[in-house]
Amino acid sequence: MKCKICDKESADEELCRIHLKTYAKVFQGYEVWKKGLRISWEDYLRRIRVNSLTGKWAKEVAEYLISKEEKENVEKS
Amino acid sequence: MIDKSVPKQLESYTLIITEKPDAAARIACALDVDGKPRKIIDKGVPFYAARRSGDILVVPSLGHLYTVGGEKKDRGIYPVFEYTWIPLYEAERKAKNTRAWIATISRLAKKADVFIDACDFDIEGSIVGYNILRFACDGKQDSAKRMKYSTLTKSDIERAYVETLPTLDFSLIEAGLARHEVDWLYGVNLSRALTNAAKKVSGSHATISAGRVQGPTLSFISRREKNIQSFVPTPYWTIKTVVRLGNSDVEVDFERKKIDVEEEAEAVVKSCKGKNGIIEKSESARLERLPPPPFDLTSLQTEAYKLFGYTPIQTSMIAQRLYLDALISYPRTSSQKLPPAIGYRAILKQLLKSSEHRECAADLLGRKRLKPREGRGEDPAHPAIYPSGNLPERKHSSAERNIWNLVVRRFMASFGDPAEARSLKATIEVQGYRFHASGMETIDEGWMRCYRPFIHLVPKLLPAMKEGEEAKVRRISMEDRFTRPPPRYNPSTILKKMQNEGIGTKATRAGILQTLYDRKFIREKNIEVTELGLEVSDLLVTDCPTIASPELTRTLEERMTMIQQGKAAREEVVEEAIEILKPITEKLKDKEQAIGNQLSQALAKARLEDQIVGNCPTCKTGRLLIIRSKKTGKRFLGCTEYFEGKCKTSFPLPQQGLIRPSGTCRDCGWPKIRILMKGKRPWNLCFNPQCPSKKRLN
Repeated sequence: MKCKICDKESADEELCRIHLKTYAKVFQGYEVWKKGLRISWEDYLRRIRVNSLTGKWAKEVAEYLISKEEKENVEKS
Repeated sequence: MIDKSVPKQLESYTLIITEKPDAAARIACALDVDGKPRKIIDKGVPFYAARRSGDILVVPSLGHLYTVGGEKKDRGIYPVFEYTWIPLYEAERKAKNTRAWIATISRLAKKADVFIDACDFDIEGSIVGYNILRFACDGKQDSAKRMKYSTLTKSDIERAYVETLPTLDFSLIEAGLARHEVDWLYGVNLSRALTNAAKKVSGSHATISAGRVQGPTLSFISRREKNIQSFVPTPYWTIKTVVRLGNSDVEVDFERKKIDVEEEAEAVVKSCKGKNGIIEKSESARLERLPPPPFDLTSLQTEAYKLFGYTPIQTSMIAQRLYLDALISYPRTSSQKLPPAIGYRAILKQLLKSSEHRECAADLLGRKRLKPREGRGEDPAHPAIYPSGNLPERKHSSAERNIWNLVVRRFMASFGDPAEARSLKATIEVQGYRFHASGMETIDEGWMRCYRPFIHLVPKLLPAMKEGEEAKVRRISMEDRFTRPPPRYNPSTILKKMQNEGIGTKATRAGILQTLYDRKFIREKNIEVTELGLEVSDLLVTDCPTIASPELTRTLEERMTMIQQGKAAREEVVEEAIEILKPITEKLKDKEQAIGNQLSQALAKARLEDQIVGNCPTCKTGRLLIIRSKKTGKRFLGCTEYFEGKCKTSFPLPQQGLIRPSGTCRDCGWPKIRILMKGKRPWNLCFNPQCPSKKRLN
């Protein structure tokens, strides 16, 4: 299986080791944003995607999660 | 005077061996009765004939003339645990010229009756001299004497010649030989394992190096890179407040530096806006700032990077030149101590002749007692770096002058009085919240006077305040902030990290960092790890964690120190290192295919990155890549989105010369390239036909 973000060998069904670890960090980060700003998950992802302090891999994960959710929404509708 | 003939008439003489040609010239001048030794050049190798009580020949080396090497038949294979010391020219193509040096030294050694090793007094210098004496001088290492000096001034050299040590420092030499042998074993085996694995899969050769110190260093930098790349900023808020104290408006800090919830920050602003507060507490204190200790090599490299942006290796090279010009003492030291024997007053008296240092030198000379503030760093061979007192004779570059000035000022500052300052702190209560005001003013600059312009404190003054006085909030607002990723290492901070972790030596750390740059594992001054660097680091962490962790190298360093102290034998330590290395090489061999796959992918990516010039200005999503047409063989620039059928942007390229990306054009933001051609000045090219810079030229 290949990582859906970078094409490297994946560590689970979707992501490689690096992006999987970063995903955990993105997930943890949401807790802080939610407490501070009462923000939705989608809004959070959009905001970290454009933040200049966000790391490259974290941006890639955010981008991936956004497009994944957009696809799921299209399929649902 | 240059004489091209070898003095055949000399039947017996003292042969002094130095590490570098400049040192040979200085030593010969200092020892010759008239200060004018005869310079002789033998097949391109200079040496000096001096007269003192007898004849003296001073012959330089070119650093190391011998190195550790394996059998020729073993080239490229691993594991390899057999090694020997061989002439450098046999191991390195670039070192062909060392053959002539060995030949000249060998010839001069034949008629010499006294041998003196005058190479730098540290591990590397001792090995240079020892190997020359045992190989080029036909086994004279046991009868040779040793000159020990810390500056190349006439007085220091004459003293070292009169007080030669009766033998070489064999414990230091044994420790050094062990270091070279262990490093060779680790370097050659790990590098061959990685290089061979990548070659097997990709079919093309690219040297991928790893080593005992390189491994943990790359691992530190990679860990930081991963933290930066996976960093998710989180929001917080700060409160910016200005209150009226006496007749001045003063900026004060809110009691909490960070507020994690936006609503809480809003509540603070709302409740304090325009309100009056009370000064709850006001206190003043006198602070002392002690002078800095004199420089050891690492602290000099750190300071030079901070002040001038020189990389550690640049600073090390500049300091070495200043040492060879007899302007400063031996720079490769880890000592931060200045023993009285160096002659504080004599140095300061000579510095009176330097207009920029006169004032401070005179002030220090006016004192009854001179005692420097020393640091913890110790070095059995040399004191901290200090100025010899000599003033520059030749025209020095600005970088050389900067480093010399820095060493001189730091030396003088270390004798200075502590700087004194007054700090003032006040706590103001507004609506149940607390704000803090702080100020600082210098009362006595002390040592800072000598260290100007390298230190500059901006005073932050506060008006006089009394407890119970009112303070009105003039302005209050909240600011949105985000946490920041950890800072990247730079050449100075990584050297400090290596030193704190106990890996490498003062002489080797900067070179190891340079190797990481040369192998394209890292790039930029604020160090970024490349894809290839991350891959190699991950490989080491997964498949040979012992190499990636600083533990092993720290333990080996400790064992080498034990050799130096006579508590362990070289053979024993090398054998231990081999025993640790054996299972690692076996594991690497077993996993060769997997490692090769991983590395060759990273290499391919790294090669592709080298060919990328910048972002495509047309589609904005693709990247411009240097491509060679299979049909015509000509190179051109094309967008990576072409392969997806999305963008057809392409530009012609010059067909000759090396092409390097050169950032973006300042006028139009399009990518630029730099073309390098032999014998011609490099030129930059912007691809935008409408670029304003081209219009200006027309």
